[in-house]
Amino acid sequence: MLPQRSRLSVLVFLVPPLALYGIAVLLPIFQSLFLSFFEWDGISPMLFVGVENYVHMFTGDAVFWTAFRNTLGYVAICLVLQLGGALIVASLLTLLRRGRELVKTLYILPAVISTVAIAFLFQRIYSLDPEGLINQVLEFVGLGGLQHAWLSDVNTVLAAVSIPEGWRFTGLYMLIIYAALLAVPAELEEAAKLDGASWWQTFWRIRFPYIRPVWITTTIIATTNALRGFDIPYLLTNGGPGQSSELLTTYMYKTAFTSTNYGYASAISVFVVVECLVAVGLIFVLLRRKADA
Amino acid sequence: MTALTAPPRATRPQFEEPGLPRPRRRQLHLQRKITGVIVALIVIVQVYPLAWLFITSVRTEQDFAGGNPFALPTEITFDNYARAFATGNLGLNILNSLIVTLGSIVVIVFLGMMGAYALQVLGFRFSRFVRALFLVGIIVPVQVALVPLFVDYAAVNLLDTYQSIIIPLAGFALPTSIYLFSSFYEYIPGEIYEAASLDGAGPYRIFAQITLPLSVNTMVTVAMVNSIFIWNDFIFANTFVLTDDLKTIPLGLQNYIGAMGKVDWTATFAAVCVSITPLLLVFLLLNKAMTYSLASGATKG
Repeated sequence: MLPQRSRLSVLVFLVPPLALYGIAVLLPIFQSLFLSFFEWDGISPMLFVGVENYVHMFTGDAVFWTAFRNTLGYVAICLVLQLGGALIVASLLTLLRRGRELVKTLYILPAVISTVAIAFLFQRIYSLDPEGLINQVLEFVGLGGLQHAWLSDVNTVLAAVSIPEGWRFTGLYMLIIYAALLAVPAELEEAAKLDGASWWQTFWRIRFPYIRPVWITTTIIATTNALRGFDIPYLLTNGGPGQSSELLTTYMYKTAFTSTNYGYASAISVFVVVECLVAVGLIFVLLRRKADA
Repeated sequence: MTALTAPPRATRPQFEEPGLPRPRRRQLHLQRKITGVIVALIVIVQVYPLAWLFITSVRTEQDFAGGNPFALPTEITFDNYARAFATGNLGLNILNSLIVTLGSIVVIVFLGMMGAYALQVLGFRFSRFVRALFLVGIIVPVQVALVPLFVDYAAVNLLDTYQSIIIPLAGFALPTSIYLFSSFYEYIPGEIYEAASLDGAGPYRIFAQITLPLSVNTMVTVAMVNSIFIWNDFIFANTFVLTDDLKTIPLGLQNYIGAMGKVDWTATFAAVCVSITPLLLVFLLLNKAMTYSLASGATKG
């Protein structure tokens, strides 16, 4: 603490950032909470309906539950691709002798590309008519029978919209985990190897516990990012066909800006916020507990 | 943070190898080769979609319709790019994106620095509470702000302006920026400040003449990590910008895809390439610093 600071100087430095943050983030959270108790289309007078939006959401809206289930599936696929992929590639990378920098650079490239470009790219990759990359490859290797319009089939569409999101950020998480793996003291692993531990044992008993704090952070970032996933499903399928790739975020967006039902959309937003907070809490509890055991 | 700057330990296992019996050594060698091949395969799968994008953008239409995904183009054509620029509004879109990105970055860097200075250097009674408040912004999804901001903007006539995108982009990036600056300010020794205070410098002079000049590296980190996400922002621009004049590159591209995506495939591929190339170039030029910024920005967030 500076000896000569005055109350005024603290305010001069603190108020501008806090004001922007208040306007852009904090106020909207409270406004959403407030709006969620009203029925409002943005034009006619607001109608106070109490908790009716929430009652309808939990008991009367099948689309909401479909979107919720889809969101869980979406998060699961993203996490497997991002964290699983990141851990595997980062571990392999520590075994390499040359080309690590090149692999890191190439691997993170998709993170630099806009979601609009990614959505277009994957639309073309999945396309059946004209044949996109996947269907061309299937034909090429003689599995033409598996050709598919991946985005119009209700059974494949959720995976199809999740994969681009997983693909996009796996490099970023790989970088983080790779940096953590490099920090594991070599002496520990050498000692374990001398004691006859297999690569697998060294990994689970020494490496992984050592990077656990980073792993928790990465899991939290990846989960909250996946929970707010919106762009790619919105651009690729807009939730369709039917509601088979609808996420809570896309459903909220459509409720707000297509059906202009601001009250109900706000109730969904509030649910998404609570969902994120619960998810972060759960990750902390689950991963911490394992660490203590 | 230190881990990131540590040199890769390529020489690590060497001291034990000479002592190993021969078969074990050969086995290690083989393992390393296999690892190399696996990593190469994974990287190819990871990067091929991007390569495909660029290759397709220089194919002729007939060539593309012919459909072997791995064949090199029979002839390279830049007609696709000419058509992309002729039909789209890509130049204006890029300019808009530059304005929004630079505007947001300036706000994020300076307000982030000020907030961190107040929290970390000056300190005050409720600083823990304020820190916790900023943490909320990292966890909460950005979509929660869409409806309220849309309503607020409509009330104060801010819809369809640069500010309408800059405010939420900067607001949601501010917490990470503050955390990055404060974790750096922790390492500035208190003696420097005490000495400056003894010489009669007040909090403003100390900020301008000590803290700010020392923060340059962190400023670069904050600017880089945010520029990628802001340049690529779709959701705020899509919600708050209504006229073509203010559309940023993701929206311009989206327009183009909507209009031409089903009509002129190869030109659309060219338009996509145009839209991603500026950032890709910056990224490849500043590769080391960028990857470092991304990793540290993400872990602090």
